Parts: sequence; structure tokens; C-alpha cells
Amino acid sequence: MDWLSTHYQQQITYDELVDAQAHPRTAAEPLFNYLSTLDSAELQARRQAADASILAMGITFTVYSEAGNIDRAWPFDIIPRILSVKEWTRIEEGLKQRLQALNLFIDDLYNEQHIIADGIFPAEVLAGSRNFRAACQGIHPPFGVWAHVCGSDLVRDADGTVYVLEDNLRVPSGVSYMLENRQIMKRLFPELFKSSIIRPVDDYPNRLYETLAALSPRPIEKPVIAVLTPGIYNSAYFEHSYLAQQMGAYLAEGADFYVSGDDIVYLRTISGLQRVDVIYRRIDDDYLDPEVFFPDSALGINGLMRAWRRGTVAIANAPGAGVADDKVVYAFVPEIIRYYLDADPILPNVPTYLCMRDADLDYVLEHLDELVVKPANESGGYGMLIGPRASADERARFAELIRANPRNYIAQPTLNISTAPTLVGDHLEARHLDLRPFILQADKLYVTTGGLTRVAMTPGSLVVNSSQGGGSKDTWIVDEEAPCFPE
Amino acid sequence: MLSRVAENLYWMARYLERTEDMARLINATTLMLLDLPPGAYFGWDILLQVTGDAKLYDALYGAPEESRIMRFLIADERNPNSVMSAIHQARENCRTFRDLLPGEFWERLNMLFIYVRENAGSGSESRHARYAFLNEVISRRHALVGLLISSMSQDNVYQFIKLGRNMERADMTTRIVDVTSAVILPQDQGLQKTAGSSLWIGVLKSLSAFEMYRRHISVQIRSNQVVDYLLKDGKFPRSMKYCLGEMEVALAYLPNAGTPAEAVRRARRRLDNLKLGNLRPDLLHEYLDQAQKDLAMVHRTVQSTYFAREDMGLENPANNLHLRAAQA
Repeated sequence: MDWLSTHYQQQITYDELVDAQAHPRTAAEPLFNYLSTLDSAELQARRQAADASILAMGITFTVYSEAGNIDRAWPFDIIPRILSVKEWTRIEEGLKQRLQALNLFIDDLYNEQHIIADGIFPAEVLAGSRNFRAACQGIHPPFGVWAHVCGSDLVRDADGTVYVLEDNLRVPSGVSYMLENRQIMKRLFPELFKSSIIRPVDDYPNRLYETLAALSPRPIEKPVIAVLTPGIYNSAYFEHSYLAQQMGAYLAEGADFYVSGDDIVYLRTISGLQRVDVIYRRIDDDYLDPEVFFPDSALGINGLMRAWRRGTVAIANAPGAGVADDKVVYAFVPEIIRYYLDADPILPNVPTYLCMRDADLDYVLEHLDELVVKPANESGGYGMLIGPRASADERARFAELIRANPRNYIAQPTLNISTAPTLVGDHLEARHLDLRPFILQADKLYVTTGGLTRVAMTPGSLVVNSSQGGGSKDTWIVDEEAPCFPE
Repeated sequence: MLSRVAENLYWMARYLERTEDMARLINATTLMLLDLPPGAYFGWDILLQVTGDAKLYDALYGAPEESRIMRFLIADERNPNSVMSAIHQARENCRTFRDLLPGEFWERLNMLFIYVRENAGSGSESRHARYAFLNEVISRRHALVGLLISSMSQDNVYQFIKLGRNMERADMTTRIVDVTSAVILPQDQGLQKTAGSSLWIGVLKSLSAFEMYRRHISVQIRSNQVVDYLLKDGKFPRSMKYCLGEMEVALAYLPNAGTPAEAVRRARRRLDNLKLGNLRPDLLHEYLDQAQKDLAMVHRTVQSTYFAREDMGLENPANNLHLRAAQA
């Protein structure tokens, strides 16, 4: 059946797969040709098969609730999100450029601070940063790289422009879902994968391994790598275990490690102590080492910072990398790129008002009903105000919060972020979505092919976070110059 | 392999074995009590003595009574040895290393946990429902063991599972023999004559040993032969001797096994020297006390060799409860 003409109500904003005349975009044409051969019952059957695969593969994330933590199956939509190779290549370059500049910036902040001396980045922003770690000053990690794994969130506005919404430089998650989504799609729609024009995504675990191995302080062929997880009750535990398994790395908790008096990090194994070279940590700085950060952290490793400072172990991402993962710093990223790379940013930032600036503060308070207001240091979509959708009371409450602590808030115009057709009941509906590619940097730079597309399952909702009911789609990078899908 | 992972494997195996042993023990005891002559003094509280939970039961429920004891032993999570607690602990331990085991294992273990959680309440009520429920638990647990035996490499992971399973099994067998013989053996109660053999049949059945005993030992059920069979038979998989042998084999695959293997051998030497021809209740009890101590020593050496985290405190305190009860 013709899914678009019969059912699809869209044109709320830019649609990823469908143009203004309700025709498939070039890269999505073969998909819709294929879908037109399926009737509603057949598509339902595929969806049920997807749900069954997810359950059987045990793809879950944990949701915290008063009734205790529950493992929830990962909500997945079977209609893929499609981008052309041409567009993707530009985005990929933009992401590499951005991470390179951010790493130069972090390295500078913890060392000479040229960018502050040169008046590009205000000292008071750094002074107010909750994620700047004094304990990291004067350290030179390998290749000058601090953020080895970055998950940037991209959104597209109504006019088609792709913006970087935020850079996640601490412990970005979601990449395992990107990999699993592709596995499910290959099982469900093998017809669409007969030719090779959908670019594969599955080299990520190898690339991650290479990135981590490159950091090893010991020049050995097979460095010992451990994924440090907070444990089974963490919402991303599935991913920690998945990545450790894919890389052949240890999946370890803080208590599995031991740091000796001469600052060497070991794992406790059944054969005794095993020296560790690289730790891919999936816990926040605050919990990393009770000797230096939160003293009562039960998740971390006593003495880890001593070892890291002496260079006997590498940590990815490096402690303190989160200093650039701050929504105030975000506003300066275009300047940071120009300063370190002497180049114009390839990917634009969303225009951002800094409440710490008096003029911006006045503007924000006067235009709260048009803006999205975000706290500087939160992630996961918590604690934000979507002005146009908030009640007068909520806006008044937020105005108080902002006045009390302007450094902690930024505001951005409400983007009309793009949609894509999503299977709802027996037909397609438009749902808003974003894209989180993952960028790796050590001696080399790498960007995932596409990334994790997160979709807000509730009609009209802009919140795509899995912790708040979002779902995901497979993301296809398709070579539209040579479409050769089978009929 | 990480020490923590090894520890979780070992405890998962112990808790799974405990789940089955409890189910088996309750079913066999029920059948046995139905055969007892009216007025026999022996009652349901023998179950509490076997599991070592009489004190906790008394604190929670008061006087021993069938339906309350059943709720306590099957569905009550305040009892760390209940069927519900054991399967729950097995599941929690398994969550941390799903990838080490065959893919279906976690799914089936999880299904068993869900089955017990949904049915433990009603399954502990009537004798009829109880029997069906516990039998289902036993057969699902058999399927889990079968999955491991038929589809797992005999690697370190498997050896820790084997260690845990046989430790728990040996522990349960010695408890059952100890408590039953304490009830039956004293001659002056006349119980020996009237009900002795049906009690021992019940014991053999609770360990799935009845048919094997009859085939390999005798059609007649004699106390000293049953005790000898359950402790010293070299071929029956639930005898103490067999379990010790399995632990020794598992240890032979593991690194640095010297100390725990020596502890196993010490336990077996003592077992070999035990003469059961002329069974004296006081000597048997003394020996079984010692056997429990030997098993506890094997457990401690396994723990200090493979699981120890000196600066962290020894281990999850919940995992210790059963053992402490054993030593008390």
C-alpha cells in the first residue's frame, strides 16, 4: 500500500524522509518503494518480530522508579532514518573539527590557559564551572587528548539546517543501541540490505578498541583494557557489558581494582593481580576516586588519580574532560574552533543566550515564552523549561531560578526540530527526532556511520531521552547517487 | 577472570542448587509424613532443623505448624534459605555475567524466577498445589543444569559453577543425614521399629537416591547402610564423597588451587576413615558436625584463594547466612 498518500499527516516541520509535496526524498525512495509492497498486516508482523528480537537479545535499559529499578525493553521503531552520503560527509567533517578543537581547548585549560590570556574565553566562566577539576591541572595525557569518546547531539531545524545541540564529553551512552538497531533491521528487512549501499556501522567496537589501546602507557601488543561500570543497576549497564564483550575487555566495578603503593592499577582475578593499562570509565568524575573526589563514593577506585597523574594508567575519557561539556562553554565553541584551528565551524551552534551576560539575561527573562531554558550542567533532558509549552506558573518559577543563579542557565530559541515517519498503530505518523553520532579521538579521529537516532514517541513531544520515554530508529547513511534497491 | 565474577558464578550455582534441594526436601518430607503411624512424635519442624532456620522461624512465626512452615520455607523472602530467596539470589548473581553462559541460560533462569515469584504464594498453600509447584521448580532447574552440561565449555566459568553446586549439595546431604539420624537412631523410642524404614525411604527419595540405593545396595532399608550410601558411595552424585571428588576435579582446572584442594582432601580422608558398621548415634553426630566444619573450611579456602578482596570486607554478608547457620 502507499503509506504516504493514504495516511501520513506531516508538514509540521522539516521531515527527514518526505518532502513538502509528500514525496519521498531521493535517499528514501527505495525504502518507500519497498514499503509499498507490504500491507498493514505485514508491517505489523515485522514490528512484532522486532519486539520479539529485542526481548530475546535482552536489549534493555534500566529505569529508576519508586517501585524499584526495572529493566525495560528498548523501544524501537522499524522505519529507519535516512541521510545521504553527501550530507553525512559534511557532518562528519564538522564533528571531527569540533572534537579536535574541544580537546585542544581542554588541554589548554588544564595547562597554560592561552585562550584566557588572549581574551577569547572569560576567566569567570571557568571559575564558575562545576566540571573543572583542579586535580587535573598540569597533566599532559597522550596525544593531548582528554575526550576520547564524544557523543554529540544533532538536530535539524525547519529550514533544514543541522545544528549541534550539545557535546557530551563525560560518559555519553547509546552506541550499543545504534549497533543493535542495525542487527534488528538486518534480521527484519534483509531485502533492503541485499546491496551494499547502506553503509555498515559495525566497526565501532574495533575502532573503540584501537582508540583505547593507543592510550596504553606500556608499549605492548595487547594492552589490558577494562570497562569501569557502576554495576548492574546503572541505566546503561547493558551497554557497558556489551562493549566490554565486543572488545574482549574486562567488565569491572570499582571494587575489582587495586592500586598499589607504587601507583600501579591492578585487577583482582582468580590468578592474582593483573596489571591494567587502560580504563574506559563509565562513571562520572565525582565518583572516580574517593581519595580525590567524593570521599564516600563506593563506585570508584582508591588511588586511581595518583596512578593516572603518574602516567601508569590511561583513563578514557580523562578526568576533567567534562569542563568542555557545559552549556555555557557550548556557546563559545565557534570561537574555540576559530582560535585553535584557525577555521570557520563547519557545523553551526544553536544561537545561545548566556544568562550570565546582563543583556542576555534581560532578553531571556522577557522572552521566556519563546525560549528553551537549560541548566548549564545537567544532562538527560532534566530541569529544562520549554517556554512555549510551559504554563505561566512554570515560567515564573523558572524566572526565579534564573535570577538566583544566572551562571547556571542558558537559553536558546525553540527549534522546530525535524520529524520522520514512525509506525504508530497501523499507520505512519510524524515524530520529532535527533541524532547522536559518536566521535573517537586518540592518535586518529573516527566518526560512527550515522549514529543513534532517538525519537520522541509521544505526538508533538520534543523530548527524545530514553529515560523519559523516547525510542530509537536505525540510522542509514545511503549513497543516493547509485540507488540500486531491489524491487 | 575477575574474582568478583568467579564469586558470583559460585554463589549462583549454590543458590540454584539450594532452590532445588529445598523443593525436593519439602516434597519428600510431605510424602513421608503421610506414611507415619498416627501419634508418631516426629513433625514438620524437622524441616526447620535440617535447614538450620528454626530460630528465625520462631522469631517470625512462633509455634511450628505446617502451613506457616511452608510459607516460611517456600515464599518468605525474610528467610534467606527459602525457595523464593534462593532463586532470587541466583538471578541477581547471574545478571552480572550473562555473557559468559549460553544465551538461553539467563532467559530460562529469569523465567524460573518469574514463575516462582508468581506461584510461591499459592504454591505454599495446599499440599496438592505445593507438590505440583515444587515439582515444576525442580524440573525447570534440571533443564538449566542440562543446558550447562550439554552446551558449556569446561572452562574456568564452568569449574566455579561446578564447585558451587557440589559444595551446596554436600552441605545439604550431610544436614539431612544428621537430622534424620538424630530422630530415628535412638533405640528407646521404638520409632526405629515402627517407622524407621519409611523415614529412611523418605530421605532417600528427597535425594533422588531411592532407586539407586535399591539397585546398588539392597532392597532392605537399613540405617547404617543408608548413611554409608549417602556419605561414602563413590558413584552416587549426591553422596558427600562424590561431591568432594567433583570439587577436586573442578579445582584441578583452576590456578593456585593448592590450598582449597588440600582442604577437600582433608575432608575426604576423614570421610574414608569413618566406620559405619556399628552405628552409634553420638559418634555419627560428632562426625557430621566435623564434616560440616570441613566443608566450611573448603568454602573458606576457595573464598580466600579466589574471591578475597582484603580491603573490602570479605563478601556480601547475605551470602554468609547459610554458612553461619551451618556452623552454629
